[in-house]
Amino acid sequence: MSNHFNRRTVMGGAAGLASAIATMSGSGPATAKLTKDVQQRGQVGRLERLPTLDLEANDEMLTSIRIFINGELSQAAAKSAAMTLKAKGLDPSKPMAREAALEALKDDPIVAVRNHSWQHLQMLMWDNLKREFHGNYDAYMSEMEAADNVGPGKLELNPGIEPEYTKHEIHMQPGGYTGDAFAGHIYHYGTNNFYNGNNYQDERHAGLAARVPVPNDGKVRRILEIGCSCGQLTVALKQRFPDAEVWGVDIGAPMVRYAHMRANDLGVAANFRHALAEDTKFPDNHFDILTSNILHHEVTRAGTLAIFKEAQRILRPGGLYYPMDFYTAERQIMKNGYGQVRDWMTSRWNHERWLYEYQSVDFPKEMTAAGFDVIAKGMPGYVDNLVAYKKA
Amino acid sequence: MAETKGKRQEYTTDFIKADIGNVSFLGNVHIDNIMTALIAMGAEIWTDRRRIRVLESLLEKKGVTRDMVEQYVPTAEEEATWKKEREVLVDRMYGQFARQGSEFNISSDWKNK
Repeated sequence: MSNHFNRRTVMGGAAGLASAIATMSGSGPATAKLTKDVQQRGQVGRLERLPTLDLEANDEMLTSIRIFINGELSQAAAKSAAMTLKAKGLDPSKPMAREAALEALKDDPIVAVRNHSWQHLQMLMWDNLKREFHGNYDAYMSEMEAADNVGPGKLELNPGIEPEYTKHEIHMQPGGYTGDAFAGHIYHYGTNNFYNGNNYQDERHAGLAARVPVPNDGKVRRILEIGCSCGQLTVALKQRFPDAEVWGVDIGAPMVRYAHMRANDLGVAANFRHALAEDTKFPDNHFDILTSNILHHEVTRAGTLAIFKEAQRILRPGGLYYPMDFYTAERQIMKNGYGQVRDWMTSRWNHERWLYEYQSVDFPKEMTAAGFDVIAKGMPGYVDNLVAYKKA
Repeated sequence: MAETKGKRQEYTTDFIKADIGNVSFLGNVHIDNIMTALIAMGAEIWTDRRRIRVLESLLEKKGVTRDMVEQYVPTAEEEATWKKEREVLVDRMYGQFARQGSEFNISSDWKNK
């Protein structure tokens, strides 16, 4: 690897362990330029380019293949599944029990090809990224260490807090969110593939941040995103609400380290804490807005219920919780045969292990039970369907 | 507890490994492997093609246009060399097609041989 430190001045010495802990109290970390910035090929807009042309081109082709799989191939699989079910005397449009659907479609060749290519493409993508970051361990680790203690945003790390349920390799990501030192790097570039190449500039997260509602009194002084992963929404929230104190928490310490490094590199004073969404350690009545993006379907049922309690505790009266996810419990419809196979693939083989538990939670009911005034609007969907207000 | 690599603090934990590697979607793990290789090969082909596109763009700025590339007539020596290279490539890629099928099934008949 050559020309690693080509954009900024290289300072001697790696940051020590103590430098990784920046507390909320006191003056916080100094605002400074990163000293070991790894940026071999510059950046396009907000995105630091992948470090080699080959890796970048490989990534874009895998993204194109993924678009094909999610589009044409998935449509063909759905059609094939319908024909298979009809041949077996079953109605493909009607809800089916999961076990019956899996049994009926287990030998459908196009469903199998679709499922195989979807999973294995993802594994190829993860392998490529892991090879790059771990193959150049010292450079990337030095960059992250040097960034730990510089601002404008703060970083707080709390080793040893991770419960077992958070340690799965969700999406088959190597090491998951907690077990790989470069989980944030790998997640950021890997999910660019998930978003079909439409989020290189954080467009999706900017769009989500724009939809987050504000409390009825209009006061927004503090915002928290729980399950912030590599920090894209947290940063977007800070950019939408520049006068507010904005925090992101995640159980993956490598995720928040990367989030902090990237936010600071973008010059955005967002703050990150390594913490569990159901136990954030923030004071009572602290936040005006609490939000999350695709968090709950990766959390156990018990975890989600605990998050509702934590949200009730840390929001100030009149504050709101705005969860965004694929489906809330309002959408607990019994799926057709192919839909059941897709969910099973996601849960069992894409290792989103808590999907079914998530689907079992009746969000409006449980949030109401936790003390919120819940407003559910129209048909449930990804956003805009559910806002929970803490009673004023 | 957070793990370290050498003297460096990684802030990582142990993790629960995905078991996707043990699964066959297509009824035979070797067919799965071939399918995966085809996906990987597609990415490799584009990787090379994109590099060529970059080279073409850079060359164009130096006066070597794409039209010049299209119109280029190889020398007889180049033609002969490239033909040999193509034959090697064809043999490597498609040589398996000419393989005579054996009646010997490695999984079910091995005890008889």
